[in-house]
Amino acid sequence: MTTVGPPQPAGEKQLTEQQAIGQSAGRYRVVGRSPAHHDFVDKVKGSLHYAADWRLPGMLHGRIVRSQLPSASITGIDVSAARALPGVVAVLTAADVPGNRIVEMASGGLAELEVTMPVLAEGRVRYMGEPVAVVAAVTQQIAHEAAELVAVDYEELPGVFDVESARADGAPTVHEVGNTLVIWQIQCGDAAKALAAADVVVEGEYRSQHVEHAYLEPEAGVGWLENGVLTLRVSTQVIEHAATIARILQVPQSKVRVIAAYMGGGFGGKEDMTVEPYLALLVWHTRRPVRMIWDRQESLVASTKRHPFIMRYRTGGSSDGTITAQQVEIIGDAGAYPNLSPRVLFAAAACACGPYRVPNASITSSAVFTNNVPSSAFRGFGAMQVVLGYESQMDLLAERLGMSRTELRERNFLAKGDLLPTGERLDTCVEIGQTMHRAVALLGEPARPSGPGKVVGRGIGCNRHPYGRTIWFRDKAAAWLSLQADGTLLIRSGVTDLGAGQAASLCQIAAEVLGAPLDDISIYIGDSALNPPAGGTFATRQLYMSGNAVLHAARELRERMAPVAADLLGVPADDLEFAAGRVWPAGAAGAALAGGADGGTRPPDAGGSGGVSVTLAELAAACEQRAISTAHLSTWRAESGSFDPRTGQGDTFPDYTYGTHAAEVEVDVETGQVTVLRYAACHDVGRAINPMRVEGQIQGGAMQGLGYALTEDMGIEDGYVQAALFANYLIPNAQDFPDVLVDIIESGEGKGPLGARGIGEPPIGNVAATIASAIQDAIGVRPAQLPMTPERVLGLLDARASRDPA
Amino acid sequence: MVASAFEYVAAGSYDEAVRLLADGGDEAKILAGGQSLMPMLNLRLAHPELLIDINMADERQPSVADGMLRLPALTRHRVLLEHDLVRRHCPLLAEAVRHVGNVRVRNRGTVGGSLAHADPTSEIGSCALATGAHVAVRGPDGDRTVPVSELFVSYWTTALAESEIITDVLIPVGRPRQGWSFHEMVRRTSDFAIVAVAAMVELNERADTIAATRVALAGVADRVTLADPELLAGLAGRTLTGSTGDEAADAAAARIAGSLEPSADVHASGDYRRRLVRVLTARALREAYAHAAGAAA
Amino acid sequence: MTLRQIVLSVNDRDHEVWVLPSDTLLDVLHDELGMADVRYGCGEGVCGTCTVLLDGEPVNGCLTLALQAAGRQVTTLRGLMGPGEAMHPLQECFLRRGASQCGFCTPGMVLTALDLVRRRGQPSREEIRYALVGNLCRCTGYTKILDAVEEYVGQAAADAPGEVPS
Repeated sequence: MTTVGPPQPAGEKQLTEQQAIGQSAGRYRVVGRSPAHHDFVDKVKGSLHYAADWRLPGMLHGRIVRSQLPSASITGIDVSAARALPGVVAVLTAADVPGNRIVEMASGGLAELEVTMPVLAEGRVRYMGEPVAVVAAVTQQIAHEAAELVAVDYEELPGVFDVESARADGAPTVHEVGNTLVIWQIQCGDAAKALAAADVVVEGEYRSQHVEHAYLEPEAGVGWLENGVLTLRVSTQVIEHAATIARILQVPQSKVRVIAAYMGGGFGGKEDMTVEPYLALLVWHTRRPVRMIWDRQESLVASTKRHPFIMRYRTGGSSDGTITAQQVEIIGDAGAYPNLSPRVLFAAAACACGPYRVPNASITSSAVFTNNVPSSAFRGFGAMQVVLGYESQMDLLAERLGMSRTELRERNFLAKGDLLPTGERLDTCVEIGQTMHRAVALLGEPARPSGPGKVVGRGIGCNRHPYGRTIWFRDKAAAWLSLQADGTLLIRSGVTDLGAGQAASLCQIAAEVLGAPLDDISIYIGDSALNPPAGGTFATRQLYMSGNAVLHAARELRERMAPVAADLLGVPADDLEFAAGRVWPAGAAGAALAGGADGGTRPPDAGGSGGVSVTLAELAAACEQRAISTAHLSTWRAESGSFDPRTGQGDTFPDYTYGTHAAEVEVDVETGQVTVLRYAACHDVGRAINPMRVEGQIQGGAMQGLGYALTEDMGIEDGYVQAALFANYLIPNAQDFPDVLVDIIESGEGKGPLGARGIGEPPIGNVAATIASAIQDAIGVRPAQLPMTPERVLGLLDARASRDPA
Repeated sequence: MVASAFEYVAAGSYDEAVRLLADGGDEAKILAGGQSLMPMLNLRLAHPELLIDINMADERQPSVADGMLRLPALTRHRVLLEHDLVRRHCPLLAEAVRHVGNVRVRNRGTVGGSLAHADPTSEIGSCALATGAHVAVRGPDGDRTVPVSELFVSYWTTALAESEIITDVLIPVGRPRQGWSFHEMVRRTSDFAIVAVAAMVELNERADTIAATRVALAGVADRVTLADPELLAGLAGRTLTGSTGDEAADAAAARIAGSLEPSADVHASGDYRRRLVRVLTARALREAYAHAAGAAA
Repeated sequence: MTLRQIVLSVNDRDHEVWVLPSDTLLDVLHDELGMADVRYGCGEGVCGTCTVLLDGEPVNGCLTLALQAAGRQVTTLRGLMGPGEAMHPLQECFLRRGASQCGFCTPGMVLTALDLVRRRGQPSREEIRYALVGNLCRCTGYTKILDAVEEYVGQAAADAPGEVPS
């Protein structure tokens, strides 16, 4: 693996001008810089093998047969024609699934109903696209034909397609136990009383839509049997599903192995199982390798989506702008099956008040079943949708009080040591005020409208977004490091890589601690049989968890080897420096490397009289001689806690990332079209391990947020997805939006390695609120429904015109 | 998704293609650029048994003769964008094609294929209508020309007989006192148009008042549609400058919008489309007029 | 349906393959020839992950029949590289600028951008945006991709002022 740059002198790699160098660069050698290495090299070379880039002898092609109706009972399935087609090797239905029940209990059973989800529908389908049968054939074309030949008889049943209908008395039930999966409550103080006594109360109702992850790589994988072990190599965020697959096949866990290929994007859409159970069934049944790649259109219609929310807010404040109370009701459309809905709605509740002090809060957050496609994890995970709610309320409150938006926010921002509505005390710094000022500053001078019939406006959106898993899950991650005989380093971690440098960042941290050059580090990830478990890649947890695991493993390994190095160099063990592939007496590395010298060594002798430095290979050899292991496995455990769903008090998330976005938009008042002129984002990331990648996360997250805010909508009606073509599901392209201008704060006070905070999810949260804020500034009316299409904006203009005729 | 199986033959000439098409009946389809046909096959929305590839049937380039810009049907969209003759003699088309597809689609998509596909949101279709173009067609019974105003019948349906193939598109070259304008509303750049308007305005001999207008609309009906000339009659003899000009343009646009019943889809409602027609048509008329007046100056 | 044998010339190397008439160029390059840098993304021609150069022009691999590519030059991303896996300067710009996150859109982006620079010499950032409109990316927000292409344009101009880069 090569690191790009001009020809290097031996020793520390020289940085080119283009590499972004972060504020931390002075403290560290590798962290805080932006080398391009590991998987990124293969990606640019086109040599990375994704999940679909795998072929085995005798490989079959799998295809799912899906329900064409959103709510129906299955009165019969005839697979005979499909089975008879030449080239078809298997056609499986519910009867062929040994353990056809997946029970998620996403919150650990804390407050949710127990609802099972079949792998293949049994007697009943609950959403359009639900898998009913699965086929394996020798070619893709035959698999398609066979799937079309499976004849399913349906009797349509009444369904519910929105949460309000689903909650109504006498509504058709999606599941026998009832349509409300979970209700979370968070209460502090007395919100009702405080609202009654408030000088001003602002009310709002906000609605968001079904959106799709739209990773460029569709769901895909290949499965095969190897030594009796069902092996899956799939595009997945979570290899721990191996246990569930074992239960589905009713085999011991040791008979299932899941390997996560580097993903072509995940965003939460590959957090639940996608192809895994279907591949597993086909492989187990046919005893042959099977590949499955979902069609893009199949993925659009049937893969999990973001929960649409209805958010009802009542915010009470005093006339000086101090918030006194928040009463919030959130209802999320869970779709037909639970998946991760309980956790999503929990995160929404925990973050419903945003980055503000709220002494009296009453928050209710429910997940409700409908016969729509199931909703589950999507970057932001509930804490993202509510930003529109709390930020809209802030802007409306500011308008009502005649205060500036920034002034109102500053009056109410949380600070370190403050209590959240759950009773938790914030124990890291809150730099949100700074992010706000910096984001606004990035906008520069205001633009003028580009012509008649155009108006310009500016807006802001602040957020508090959790990183790390909900605390009561007792999260942990393990990592294994090994210094090889030749001085190179091996890392094994169960982490999965979404494309955001999950793997590469671990190398950068290890390089920092152990001084191994990045080129000398190999990392092996995402294999449930071969890697220490790291937990899935979600909840912006990997840098926090696996980053800490690698950091501690590297430090522990260094500590163990230090006495040996000290002996070789003739210096005390706590007086060492690991850098540029060598170990030095503290302070010696800088001088040697600055001078471009190769840091001349003398072979260690038995007396340990010491030379200027020793190579890592020499250290490894010396350790081996002294029977000291140069391999180390470390498990890092996050703080744990508990939450009481009855009182709504307790521990939620380990920490938060704070940020603000700012935008300038132009609205065409005749068509309602919104053009984003400038867009800026500032987040406190604690420590930027790789500044360029941090910027990339912010730019990419903001762009996804812009699609969510303005153009993306599955358009689900009566359970049918209208935007079922990629041509109709409108994700941002290269010409739709300006560059996202980024400013990063490094407060150093995060709980991740070296003080880092998570940055994967936070930047998607601010966007919709920021754009709504800017539109409100431009046209005087606040959009409350997403996406903010030209047609809806025109509707708002019409409403304003009829309200205040010119 | 993968297409269901089909056979393939490459035709060396239009005559051969017509013969193959006639033999194949409704199980055979013409493959030109493939940018509209292949997605339908990949999505299994169509299941032809034979594709007749005509990409090698004609090597001619765009030419001008007798006041007509002759575009061989196989002219790629990219050529429409870049070719000197098109930019000079039908700049409306060159401008509109910028909004069609993307680089890859424009490298392969053809003008004949576009018109034959008859998508009701087609930018190229609306320009062909607005310019009063014709298509030259070859069939088993010989050659004929069809005005584009008679070509589009309904959703993805033309007036061509089953075995007829478009061989040329003939566009009257732009005249001195003509101006044009193209406006479209898309949710995202390069998408299918929600509503597109292509307008041509021709001034009188003194180059001050309007002698003729044509307005073609896409995304408003089951096919690309020419606005009823009656609705534009009120513009004859007028200028479109100043606030009276704006009012006249808007009035004409309103009449045109009122005459339409656009349907809704996932991107826009019928009402909103109608409002867009009014706004975009007014803008297009004013711009086409200014263009004509400026060009004549 | 009858299989036909054709010769596909890909990255200056000839491959004899048996194809069905309905096989797309994407199917054959990826599944038959094992080329992982040409990918299925949508089948509609919208996303750009199957972009290849056909006689030097970017086309949709998923909308081109393999038979149509017989006798023509196909270039994939890996075909831009030199001996010993030496990266094309545009690839190096992508790497250095962080223009690749999950990497799935990268081959299409690089090929399309290269075609643009070859034909237009010194495109502006706006022109680069327009050219890349049909290459969707869900990870980067496009900025670093544009930065990488701009850097390449600048480099190419500096190396050979007035010449069109290869």
